[in-house]
Amino acid sequence: MIEVTGLTKQYGTIKALDNLSFRVERGSVFGLLGPNGAGKTTTIKILTTLSKPDGGRAFIAGYDVVEDSVAVKRLMGVMPQDNNLDRELTAYENLLIYSMLYDVPDRETKIRWCLDLVDLWARRNELLMRFSGGMQRRLLIARALLTEPSVLFLDEPSIGLDPQIRRQLWDIIRKTRIEGRTVVITTHYIEEAEALCDHVGILNKGVLIALDTPDNLKATLGEYIVEFVNDEGKLIQQMCKDREEANNLVLCQDCEVRIRKTNLEDVFVRLTGERIE
Amino acid sequence: MIGKAWYPIFLREMLLFRRQLLRISYLFSAMLIPIIYLLTFGLGLGGMVQIKGTDYLNYLIPGLVSLTSMMNSYTWVANALNLNRLYFKNFQVFIQAPIQPSAIMIGEVLAGMVKGLFASGLILIVGFITTRNLSITPLFVPTLLLNCFLFSSLGVITGMITKSHEDTATYNNFFILPMAFFSGTFFPVERIPQPLQAVVWAFPLTHANILIRENSIDLYALISLVVLVLYAIVFFVIGSRLIRDYSE
Repeated sequence: MIEVTGLTKQYGTIKALDNLSFRVERGSVFGLLGPNGAGKTTTIKILTTLSKPDGGRAFIAGYDVVEDSVAVKRLMGVMPQDNNLDRELTAYENLLIYSMLYDVPDRETKIRWCLDLVDLWARRNELLMRFSGGMQRRLLIARALLTEPSVLFLDEPSIGLDPQIRRQLWDIIRKTRIEGRTVVITTHYIEEAEALCDHVGILNKGVLIALDTPDNLKATLGEYIVEFVNDEGKLIQQMCKDREEANNLVLCQDCEVRIRKTNLEDVFVRLTGERIE
Repeated sequence: MIGKAWYPIFLREMLLFRRQLLRISYLFSAMLIPIIYLLTFGLGLGGMVQIKGTDYLNYLIPGLVSLTSMMNSYTWVANALNLNRLYFKNFQVFIQAPIQPSAIMIGEVLAGMVKGLFASGLILIVGFITTRNLSITPLFVPTLLLNCFLFSSLGVITGMITKSHEDTATYNNFFILPMAFFSGTFFPVERIPQPLQAVVWAFPLTHANILIRENSIDLYALISLVVLVLYAIVFFVIGSRLIRDYSE
């Protein structure tokens, strides 16, 4: 569904993307994981036609995002990282304008469906400036789904949301996936990538440093990590391929030891020597 | 296809405009400067001055109308685009929508024209109240429409190229403000020292001020009309291209 080859983007002297390549299969959820400034949003901006690449190409359903941008735009829905809703319009007016821009048929029904999906129909006639941050994020995803897009781009969808609203958002994304849409999601939340994504690409300083399923990425380290503080007060982490190996390691230590499952952050730390957040 | 694709952009601006109108600050800011000019130059000095054999107020008010149409068409479009692009990010929604750049341009320009015409209408009402001899020439309305179109298009250009909100104020100070004073709004261009006249004749507002006071299209008016139309086309094309080439 999505094919990215050798994508590069430079802002002044900063290389935001350096020869980025990946593929996303139709109907899958693909996550771009990395710290702030890794190039995730730049990637989304290029794929959603908001930014033009300096080099390389990207295709969505066979359409070039630069040369066939109007065809690409018809296929996609976008939930941006920045809230770009009109705060001086009502929720209904925001969706009305959006539906007109995309020439959505049967607008009233679709708007009602979207607002019901995010539990905002009752507040449709309120100005957005009176909405909480969480409500505005919900409206953003409703807007992205209004055109029933084949590809959904979610740029840091749960940033700033409390855990309960985040779970609601995840449920909507999972439902979207079941409906057969391809989803590209950027996040710096480990649990979000693990909970939602079929494949994860790990970005650091504009370079894709790993790409696989979350389980395969974690398997490169082992299933468990044993953590303890050594005599010099330094946190030591030892990777273990299974629980048995972890238990054996614990028996060898005479200090307080913690066993936990590996996560994608451990993969990132192993690859870069830095933490994501 | 452009078709009706410009309409949601226009509609959005009108929905916002309708709410702005409910705030007293909007009407106040739209009318404040022209009213101050009218009071200072028109009612203050007007009784002592005659221009081209007519009352000064009759000379001044059409000029104030074209000045108001310029300022409102230009400023509202430039500021809104600048803010939508750099701060509120609403402009991303238009760029990501499957519509042609010219549809965005048309929607923004038409919205700017409505704002310019609205404010001009207010000044005209004040003009009719303050002087009984005010005459509206046959070229008044077409000139007003052309002027609004031209300066809305220029507003798009400014809104697209500015890198901060402060930039917009700089363009105002260097281009819009001198145009407001020297383009024949308050006194005929011929009174300006000769070396400066060449610059003033290049200002689009100068030609709007000439045309808005003409009764018919003579050679003098025709030249101004051609200049305004050329400016309008050039600004529209440049604005459309800036939208087409937009990249974050």
